[in-house]
Formats: sequence, structure tokens, C-alpha cells
Amino acid sequence: MRIGTRKILDRSFTALGGFSIGLMILALILILVPMFIRGGGALGFRGTIEHRRLLLEKFERGNRPAIEAEIRRFEERRAPIYRQIAEFEAELTRGDSARRRQYAPALRDLKKNLGILLGPAPGAPRPMLARDQFGQTRWDRAVIKLDRVLIRESWDYSDPTRGGVRVRVPRAREFEGTPVAGIFPFLENHLAEILQPRPTFYWGFLTDESFDSHFFGGIWAELLGTFYLTAGAMLFALPMGIMAAIYLTEYATDGPVIRLITTSITTLAGVPSIVFGLFGLAFFINTLHLSSAKSVLAGSLTLALMILPTVIRSAEEAIRAVPRTFKEAALSLGAGRWQTVTGVILPAALPGILTGAIISMGRAAGETAPIIFTAAVSIGKPLTLFQTLTQPTPALSWNIYNLATEHEAMDEIRHVQFGMVLALVSLVLILNIAAIIVRARISKKLKG
Amino acid sequence: MKSMMMGMISVVIGAGMVFAGDPNKVVVDGSTTVGPIAKAFAEYAMQKNPVMNITVSESGSGNGAKSLLNNACDVATMSRPMKNSEKKAAQEAGILAFETVVAMDGLAMIVHESNPVQGLTLEQIRAIYSGQIVNWKELGGPDQPIVLISRDTNSGTYESFETLVMKGAKIGSKAEYVGSNGAIRQRVVSTPAAIGYVGLAFCEGVKVLAVNQVTPSAETVVNKSYPISRPLFMYTNGRPKAGTAKGDFVLLGNTPEGRKIIEDVGYIPVQ
Repeated sequence: MRIGTRKILDRSFTALGGFSIGLMILALILILVPMFIRGGGALGFRGTIEHRRLLLEKFERGNRPAIEAEIRRFEERRAPIYRQIAEFEAELTRGDSARRRQYAPALRDLKKNLGILLGPAPGAPRPMLARDQFGQTRWDRAVIKLDRVLIRESWDYSDPTRGGVRVRVPRAREFEGTPVAGIFPFLENHLAEILQPRPTFYWGFLTDESFDSHFFGGIWAELLGTFYLTAGAMLFALPMGIMAAIYLTEYATDGPVIRLITTSITTLAGVPSIVFGLFGLAFFINTLHLSSAKSVLAGSLTLALMILPTVIRSAEEAIRAVPRTFKEAALSLGAGRWQTVTGVILPAALPGILTGAIISMGRAAGETAPIIFTAAVSIGKPLTLFQTLTQPTPALSWNIYNLATEHEAMDEIRHVQFGMVLALVSLVLILNIAAIIVRARISKKLKG
Repeated sequence: MKSMMMGMISVVIGAGMVFAGDPNKVVVDGSTTVGPIAKAFAEYAMQKNPVMNITVSESGSGNGAKSLLNNACDVATMSRPMKNSEKKAAQEAGILAFETVVAMDGLAMIVHESNPVQGLTLEQIRAIYSGQIVNWKELGGPDQPIVLISRDTNSGTYESFETLVMKGAKIGSKAEYVGSNGAIRQRVVSTPAAIGYVGLAFCEGVKVLAVNQVTPSAETVVNKSYPISRPLFMYTNGRPKAGTAKGDFVLLGNTPEGRKIIEDVGYIPVQ
């Protein structure tokens, strides 16, 4: 080949490599940046007085006198709205029934939307569900709900050949000439004074239990569940995996049985995770009766089985990479086989084994399919260590799916979902960084 | 090494058995339709008695029944009655499946808000789902092919739909099957030409159609003028006893608080 052609080929190859790396970094940024920004919104946001009232009532958190003063201010400032509504209602009951019929549905709709924005009306009975007990706790949601109060959306279906067209009718016009008309400009201009939003850092998102099925509170139960499941899986998989790897590399002599075992391990690594989930249900719960229902124990065992092949293979590679001279030196000094393995080979192979463990740990934390049938539930409390043996738990991976597809009010609580995503990604990231640091330390020690 | 492993496993199994009989633990599994009720009940019960741990999974009525048969849940929530085959299997497993009706629900036919169609007859819905009517044009709507959304076959809502609407006719091959009520709603919210069916708690942001000129509401479901309404169930092994965690959970639907919760979530308390 001419030198010129070779150069061109060489350069285009380098360019292609650079391009694909660039593309990967770009994709990573495109995925991670919105995830961090929107996920961060679960922790840092402009919290309204309703958020502070909620923390005080549910978790006894915050400066009670200061918040109570704020609540009084909130009640005072929103009072005119309800006064005007009451005035109009009194006027309607006095007036003729045609007028009452004309305004009744619109008034009902208005009161419903006001309730969503500002919470139950003064003097109204306390609703059962927490989601109805409070107005909007976040300013960004409050702005959206304000729009619902100011404007009634309807659809114009006059042209049947096309779909309907959205029509936005200002409620101020609907109630023109009534005492209620005044509340719309009032709300538009004074909502911030009523709800008193303030930059809030809600660290409790990570350490509080959720309540009213993730409407409020945090994700502590999910975080803890994911931690238990991951730690449990590592607890089972790591010792078993390392022992298997030692056996396969140091003790086993090559033969048809061993070849069958290695092939099986490789095959197992390629089995889809949902199959492990079903196996876990059938074997650990329905056959062995490890726990009567789903449990963290059954879930971590299932996850352990799933990551076992990766752990074995990476440990095997790491052990094989230890120079033969290490082993020969140990044996020549009179060390036994077991002593050689535990005293010389394993320490030298540890960084490599840890790499495999890190990869598996990230996978165990993020997998959803194996825990659907064996461990995960939509809601549940954070567990104590003992309860993990018998009880199921919410977990980040599963609950992200649940909030994204199944929840009855998923549009209202997108921020919780993004917060969970952020928490899961950060958790895996932190685990990885910690393991990398540990690995670096061990390698350094070995070299020094 | 081997005996150590065996020892470890037996310790783990033993520990599991010792802690299995926790009286404050209630495991609820089943219908995604009943999910909002179950979750709100769990919330309420745990707030009243903080030592309780009630876990709720929403995996479909079929899975709820299976879990109850395998003794893997305490309460199976279902949006359809148990089938005879399931009852028989329960009997063989030594489980007496006791039925409690917690609430009433109307199967709501939902379309995108921009859809000008206001109502359908049962026959029309059957024709749509069996693939005879394929375009909204035929129903007085825009010229758009209908996107059929259905629950998967594990769902109680799917079976209610089959018995109440399809009546033996087969759902057409073009239907898209999704895994929960929430997913149907989400699909309809984002697809202008879609039609789906859900429980009444999942009607936010979509247009609910009248069926045979009746819109589903507390009134029309109770007086049975809405043609496709159904009860929602909770099944337990044996009659739920008041005073136990499980019993109180199931019987909450009979208390004034429970009825209020059912209403607030969007369903209709039993009269």
C-alpha cells in the first residue's frame, strides 16, 4: 500500500474514533444534564407556605411560631376571595333560580380549582387524603394551577372534520358583573403574597418517608430498599463468586465437566433479567418458602444470582492475571495451596475483582425486572434490618417505573419521579467512586 | 466450606420462618384499578397505627389472585370476581377465598380531549374494539384511524370489559395492550385518535364518553343506568376479622372514613 493512502486511512480512522467518543460524551451530557437539573428540582425549589405548614404538621419540623405567623398571614390575605364567593352565593340563593342554574356549575368548578391552588376553604371540613388537605406546596406547580383558576379550558368542536380546538375562556369574563369577578385580578397580582414562596432546600426529600402515595414527603423507604437489595445481593454474590473463581482457576483440572460449567456461567450471564425474576419467584418464594410473600431477602438472592456470572468471570480474569511467578515463589517457600491463594493470589487479584464487583453493584441497584416479583412494592415503610428477611420494600428502580406509568396522578408528581432518578443515578455514581477509591488504595499498597 | 454454606442457608431460612408471623404486616397485591384505594387505605391505617407496615403492589387482578393462592399476599385486590377455576385452585391449596366488595366503579370509556365524539353506544364500542369501525369519521369525528388501547389479559379491567362490552366478540388484532390503568390514561392523553377504558379514578385530563347516552357518575353507577359498572373486590383467606391488621384494612371500606377516602380517590362507596 502506498504510504499516502495509509496515512489517509490512519487519519480517517483516528477521526472516526474521536467522533464516536465525542458523540458518546454529547449523549451523556444530553441525558445527564436534564436529569440533574430536573432531579435537583425535587430538592431545591421555591416552597410556598403550604410546604412549610406540611413539614410542621407531618414532621414537626420548622420554627413553629414563625410558621404559624405565616399561616395567619396566608389566611388573612386569602380571606377576601372566600368573602366574595360567599357574598355571591348568598346573592344567588336570594335571587331567581334561572340565575342560580346559570352560575352553579361554573362556581363549583371555580371552587374546586381554588381548592387545588390554596387548599380547603376556611372553615371547610378537613379532607381525608393529604393531597386534598394542602394547597400547592411548590411555586412552580402553583403557577400552573393559578392558570387553571384564571382560565377555564374548553373545546370547540364546531368543525367535525378536524379534531376539537382548545379554547381558553377567562373566568373573569364568565363571572363578569358578579362579586366574584374581582378575585381573578386579585389572585393574579397577589398570589405570591398569599402563598409566600421562598427558596427552599428540602433535604428531607432524601430522608423523609413519602406519604399519600408519593404526593408529599421524600423517598427514604425507596433509597433504603435499594440499598438493602444491592448490599444483600453483593453479600451473597461476592463470596460465592470469588470462591467459584478460585476453584475454577486454581483447583479444577480441565475436563468436560469444567468446560460445561464455564459454558453454563457464560450462558447465565446472557439470560434476560426478567427470567431471573420469574425464577426467583418460583424458586425462593413458591418452592423454598424463604418468606411467605415478596421480601428483600428473596429479592437480593435473585439479584445475586443475576450478577453471579459477572462476578465469577471478572474474578477469574483477575486471578489469571496474577503473574505465575507470585504463585511459584509462594509455593517454593513452602506455603500450601490454600495459603498461596489467600495470602498471595487473592490480594494481588483484589483490584480486578473489585472492578467486577463495582460493575455488578451498579447493575443490581438499577435492575427492575428481577425484583418485580420477588421484592418490590409501590408503597411500604422503610424496613429495619430484621424485617428485610420477611418483608417487601419499595425500591428506586421499581418506583420510578411505577410513578412513570401506573400512578393515578403521575403528572402532579413528576418532580418526585425525577428526584428518584437523580437519587438512583447518584447512588450508583457514589458506589462506583467509593469502589474506585478503594481499588486505587489497594493497588498502591500492593505496589508500595 | 460446604457445611458452612449449608449452615448459613439454614440460619437464613430459620430466621425467615420465625419472623413470618408478624401481626402488624399486611401485604396487598393485585389490581391497578383498586390501587388508589389500597394505597390510601394503607396510608390511613399506618397513620393511625404507626407500628403497622402495609405494603401495596399493583400488578393486576390476575396476579393478585395468584398471590393469594400461593399464600404470598394477605389481601388480593381485584377489579373482577374470582373465577371458578381460581376458587377451585384456592380450595385445593387450603385457602378459603373470602370476597369483600369495597367499592363500585364505572368502566369509563376515555378519548383525547380534542375528540368531538360525545358518546357511543355499547354496540359501537364493541364494533370499534372488534375492528369493524376503524375510523373516527364513521362516528362523526375527524378523519383519523382509531387507535385502540386495551389492558393486558392479566387485568381485571380487561375481563370486565370483555364480559360487559365485548360479550364474546374478540378484540381486534390492532389493539395495543398496556400494563396498567395509569398507562392507558397516559397513552390516551398523548394520542389524539386513541380510545381506552379505565376505572373512574383515572379520568383526569381525558374526555369521558357517555355510553348509551349516560355519563358515569356516582348516581348513574348506583342506579345502574350506566351500563358498564362493576364492583371492586378485596379477597382474603377466610372472613376478615375486625381487630386484626388485615381485617381492619379490608373492613375500612365500611367505615365513614373509608367511604370518604373511596369517594375522594374517585370511586363510589358501596351503599
